[in-house]
Amino acid sequence: MKWVVLGASAALALLTAVAVGPAGFAVDPVTLAIIRDLRVPRALLAFLVGGSLAVTGSALQALVRNPLADPYLLGLSGGAGLGVVAAIALHLGGPWILPASAFLGALAAIVVVYRLGVVTGAVLDTRVLLFSGVVVGAFAAAMMGAIMALSPAAELRNAFVWLLGGFGSASWQSVSVFAAYAALPVTLIYLAARSLDLLTLGEEPAQYLGAEVERTKRLVYGAASLLTAAAVAVSGTIGFVGLVVPHAIRLVWGHLHRTLLPAAFLLGGTLLVFADALARTVFAPVELPVGVVTALAGVPVFVLLVRRWSR
Amino acid sequence: MSVLAFRPPGRGTAACFPLLAAGIVACTAREAPLADRLQDDLGHIVALEPPARRIVSLSPSTTELLFAIGAGSSVVGRTRWCDFPPEALAVPSVGDGLGPNLELVLSRTPDLVIFYASAANQAAIARLDDLGIASASVRLDRLDDVPLAARMLGRLTGTGPRADSLAAQFAERLDSARAARRGGVGSRSLDRVRGVAVVAWDNPPMVIGAGSFLTELVELAGARNVFDDVALASAQTGIEAIAARDPDVLLILGDGLPAFAQRPEWQTVGAVRRRDLVAVQGSEFERPTFRSFEAVLTLREALRRSEARARGRAQ
Repeated sequence: MKWVVLGASAALALLTAVAVGPAGFAVDPVTLAIIRDLRVPRALLAFLVGGSLAVTGSALQALVRNPLADPYLLGLSGGAGLGVVAAIALHLGGPWILPASAFLGALAAIVVVYRLGVVTGAVLDTRVLLFSGVVVGAFAAAMMGAIMALSPAAELRNAFVWLLGGFGSASWQSVSVFAAYAALPVTLIYLAARSLDLLTLGEEPAQYLGAEVERTKRLVYGAASLLTAAAVAVSGTIGFVGLVVPHAIRLVWGHLHRTLLPAAFLLGGTLLVFADALARTVFAPVELPVGVVTALAGVPVFVLLVRRWSR
Repeated sequence: MSVLAFRPPGRGTAACFPLLAAGIVACTAREAPLADRLQDDLGHIVALEPPARRIVSLSPSTTELLFAIGAGSSVVGRTRWCDFPPEALAVPSVGDGLGPNLELVLSRTPDLVIFYASAANQAAIARLDDLGIASASVRLDRLDDVPLAARMLGRLTGTGPRADSLAAQFAERLDSARAARRGGVGSRSLDRVRGVAVVAWDNPPMVIGAGSFLTELVELAGARNVFDDVALASAQTGIEAIAARDPDVLLILGDGLPAFAQRPEWQTVGAVRRRDLVAVQGSEFERPTFRSFEAVLTLREALRRSEARARGRAQ
């Protein structure tokens, strides 16, 4: 029953998102082109990114055993932001320059954080990883501040609007690239579901219960951060989804990652598709940053869930 | 004693003008009366016995106006964004204009600091008040602000006659340009009013709304901003919203054709598909100034060329 509700909401969200928009809904060549080339890829991209962020958040919360972990915690948003700001300050041109520089910045952050995480030897210490993420994020933010202060590029303001996140630039290109890319890390995380269940008990108990702790940590960390880097590249940093959707699903579905992960994917996708539909229609032609809507719409839902299910 | 206010009733701060004026009379009555008391665009009294001799100008538009009215030689500090006229570049920069570095400002030993009228500057203004340095906040967002600001700066710098005459010329030209537009004279060469979307940024798409002087430039150039129902100066929007408004032309601030025009999702916008893109560049498109009519002429010419291209295609 729960799956039916979740699946139906996802379908409803996608249909709504395709049906509404500033250009309205009509069967004429112009509107159909808008629906085909803008709305459908936009809804799909929002769904895939929302799902990916929710899966990443679920996996990272289990990995670092911290309920406050979210996809951007590990220095990723800072790295991506630094990439974008640097690209704009250097006047690098080209249609793919923002996504590409965000992705490269995020990759750089991942590598540094990972190196710091294993610095204590062969073991990936998740506490050090967490701390390194925060520190690298702070360093990247400081570098962004320095570039902002010293660069004469007036367009830098727009870098921050871009980083706030949104699907304004969604296209079939970005959907297909993201879908092809995301399939592998999402699958890898799903295959680690059983180990993640054990990891939530603590690393030692997980070891005794037969989980390959080191391998799982590296695999999940690598997959989660590469997935987030791609999400940042196509849509900026969208908060809330990756943090709260996993908790909402745990309240309703329990803690087993085999169900938690797919349910989180569906709910994250649904939430982000709805949020994006609201973001672009409520104040049309002006768009709200989608992260604003996810939080505005998501927090009340989450509060309801907590009141209904937590005992 | 007289209270000089530079905003006609009915706009912005002027809505509370009678109240403000009453308050000013009440408080100035107790102080030593100066010849003229100037009220700036934030409603503050400018505590200065004109003319100002050492001015730090913290916005590119006021720097440009000061030079235009012949007070350039009194400007001893500017922001790093002040790029016109070229002589302004010889003045030492004090960095940013919004939330300025007061130490750098004070190092220029100003007797008057001119701010852009913004809440972001309140703290700096209060600090200067404490230090006994006069400041004036000038709002320069729309073309109507240009003559008002010029008159105020003229009075503060002792260049009143020149400033007043430039201001009067500008205001007159603005009036007649608007009257001509209403009468259809200015747009006679355009067989109908063309819709323009001013795209300030592509990812996320940002367009210029009615709050910006750029919308006025577009109108004076004989066209219409298709986003003139958006009250903001600029707003984030979506490609679909631009496609739905179906502008005849996309106006882009910058040099040459933007990269986004090649992207497939932008081809849903008719003007992009037809390559009806007009790019304009120059500081006269960055702020309202006495040069705004040059900007209008440049824009009108660019729109005319693009329309001719469109006609050529249609035949």
